[in-house]
Amino acid sequence: MSAENELARRLRVCYGKDGRLAYLGHLEVMGTIMRSVRRCGLPFEVSNGFAHRMRIQFSQALPVGASSSAEYYDLMLPCEVNADEALEALRRCTPAALAPKRAALLPRRMPALEAWANRASWLVLLPCAADDAGKIAEAIDGVRARGVISFMRGDKPRRIELGRTLVACELRSEGSSLTMLLETRSTEQGSLRPAVLVQEVCGRQPRSVCRVGQWHEEDDGTLTSPL
Amino acid sequence: MRLPREDLFHLIEPFLGEVERPSRYLNHEWGAVEEQDGPFHACMMYPDVYDVGVPNLGLAILYDELNRLDGVSCERAYLPWVDLSARMREHHIPLLSLETASPVASFDLVGITLAHELVCTNLIEVLDLAGITLRAAERDEDEPIVIAGGPSVWNCEPVAPLFDAVLLGDGEGAVSQMVLAVREGRAEGLSREGILRRLARLDGVYVPSFYEVVVDDSSTRWGYAVPREGTGAPEVVYKHCVDALSATEPVAQRIVPYLPVVQDRLTIEVLRGCARGCRFCQAGMTYRPVRERPSEQVLEAVERGLATSGYDECCLSSLSTTDHSQCATMLRALHDSLASKGVRISIPSQRLDSFGVDMASVARSSRKAGLTFAPEAGSQRLRDVINKNVTDENMDAAARNAFENGYRRMKLYFMMGLPTETDADLRGIAAMSERVVGIGREVCGARSKVSVSISVAVFVPKSHTPFQWAGQLPLEETVRRQRVMLEAASDRALRISYHDAQTSLIEGALSKMGRRGFDLVLAAWRRGCRFDAWTDQFDFEAWKQAATDIGVDLEDVACECFDLEAHLPWDHTSPGVSKGYLQREWRKAMEGRTTADCTMTSCTGCGVCSVLGTHNDIAGRRS
Repeated sequence: MSAENELARRLRVCYGKDGRLAYLGHLEVMGTIMRSVRRCGLPFEVSNGFAHRMRIQFSQALPVGASSSAEYYDLMLPCEVNADEALEALRRCTPAALAPKRAALLPRRMPALEAWANRASWLVLLPCAADDAGKIAEAIDGVRARGVISFMRGDKPRRIELGRTLVACELRSEGSSLTMLLETRSTEQGSLRPAVLVQEVCGRQPRSVCRVGQWHEEDDGTLTSPL
Repeated sequence: MRLPREDLFHLIEPFLGEVERPSRYLNHEWGAVEEQDGPFHACMMYPDVYDVGVPNLGLAILYDELNRLDGVSCERAYLPWVDLSARMREHHIPLLSLETASPVASFDLVGITLAHELVCTNLIEVLDLAGITLRAAERDEDEPIVIAGGPSVWNCEPVAPLFDAVLLGDGEGAVSQMVLAVREGRAEGLSREGILRRLARLDGVYVPSFYEVVVDDSSTRWGYAVPREGTGAPEVVYKHCVDALSATEPVAQRIVPYLPVVQDRLTIEVLRGCARGCRFCQAGMTYRPVRERPSEQVLEAVERGLATSGYDECCLSSLSTTDHSQCATMLRALHDSLASKGVRISIPSQRLDSFGVDMASVARSSRKAGLTFAPEAGSQRLRDVINKNVTDENMDAAARNAFENGYRRMKLYFMMGLPTETDADLRGIAAMSERVVGIGREVCGARSKVSVSISVAVFVPKSHTPFQWAGQLPLEETVRRQRVMLEAASDRALRISYHDAQTSLIEGALSKMGRRGFDLVLAAWRRGCRFDAWTDQFDFEAWKQAATDIGVDLEDVACECFDLEAHLPWDHTSPGVSKGYLQREWRKAMEGRTTADCTMTSCTGCGVCSVLGTHNDIAGRRS
């Protein structure tokens, strides 16, 4: 490993996705953040390819309509910067609903963020009342026992194995509403979208979906925070 | 009826998860004006979806100008795509503005961009969805004043009944005057008609209801408009003209959209107007005189615009950017300052005779995929008829220059159906294109992947051009000529595409008709036509039925030639170019004689400078 790769020239930024901007698609979020980086005047590396793109990596795509308090991107830097100052500059130049929350400098040489952050936690507001908790829990058990969900994305049939992708699922009643705390794992075969599970067990789409955490899962099951 | 001003975003939010591209409806983009306190509220609307409307520079200019006015707030609105508008109709949700999600029908003034003929049904759709009474003459006293402006105002008669007033020409300054006139009129308790009288006194403002249509022996079957007695409206309304582009804000486009839009980049207008004098070109006649933005202002604007927007591409926009007297200097300076930042500089299309070696090398270094030229016609004879003033030698030199600078792809624009066109001219398109391919192979090697795309549009005669008296090609003849050209083109490196002849026919019919054209537009909308510029939405059968409903034949309308001396339906609105000049140009076209560019030689007598009291404003020296 070269000394160059050891230098702290990767700025990892944790940001949220909130309010109306939950309806942005992943490419739209990427485009908006890249423009925020350009606006704030931070130095960044540019690829040498045909299109001269900014060198930046994003964590896994969030479904359209889902909000998040734990999204990440890695910006590759041509020189070291002060992480706190960079965070402040980014805050000033990013739409409030995508505002950066924390930032840290990491070594340049690391696995790609999208593949590395393979575990996620979700808070899902279900489209059913707290009184239905027993029925929903039964439905979840049934789906887990089957081990697979078949569904349509657009006009294409899809199938997701639950054995590896669904880590944990817990129901909570809050007043008259019913929420689901979901732990998922992304694999080479795919990742489970909360809305797919909710549609399967409730027959309807969730009222809201929020990704509340992302981690890297080590081989021994230990979870490592991106920051 | 005027609707109350209130935030109704919660009414459309439940549908956002179900529709295509929900980010069209979110607002809160970077650069949008969040504070909308008024108390006078204007809404500028583009009658197509957000991603088509946002890049429109005209609307951005007006939004910026109005939001700077004391006591005036300006929001935007776009036409929702068919998926959301169907849900809005089903749930009785009116069209909403973007910034505050207030009903468009709650605003004091609504301005709509007339972008091209194929948005005509969308104009009805936006007003109907908004709940604003369609015909201006039938609107309640308290309903919004609905105005229009934009590049397609030059025969606005087929949609004139929708508008209280239409602004002809440059929007800067004029739109503020209109807003202030409405605000003051409302404050004084003037009636709707009283407010329109004030508007009609302003420079460049046409009030359609103050004119009646007369059909007589001196006119075409569509008649001509004369001022109604007692209105005080002028016989001819001349456009509003900004004398110096340098006096306008160069970075008008401040809003950075979330979703990829049609022209997803910073646009700096470097030049307004074009005096090349192409006889088919409406913009070339209606945007005169030529006004250049000085290079130092452009360079400052590019730097500032990129810094505040975060874009990674900047377009130096105009009708003919390479004609700018300081174009090469600007491109070199921008290349020097931006190349290392991953920022691309683009220019919309290049003129064959002004595309120099400097430009080719600078444009190439910005990694643009291909170059676009518009020879328009395949033979020198026909290029002289249309006054294109470029030669085969210009084409060959530009192609060689481009290939030598590393380009492998080229796009050439042509037109079909131009006055006096013969089959030999069509074969000339194929011959010219194949010659360009040959130059490419000679420069780059026989096995290089040189490709030349040809896009052939159907000529549509437009008002206020020397070809306004011409008829359009009938559908069957268009198809035959397309076949002639196709058969003449044998090289596999040529890719040929055509504009759809049916949409061109609608465009042609609406370009010819007078105020009675509104019946056609209304009938088409009632038959479900909207988004006619979208291939998957365009329904030619519905248009044909609509024409039958009102007793006209589309081909008959579009293909009709007008008498050179006839009163035309648009004679009462003028961009300043005199009818006598257009008649002279028509006669010269028939004789194959050309007219020079007045920015490079002497005055050619179009009349704009004397009529509007203005002049060309060139930053450097043109040659």
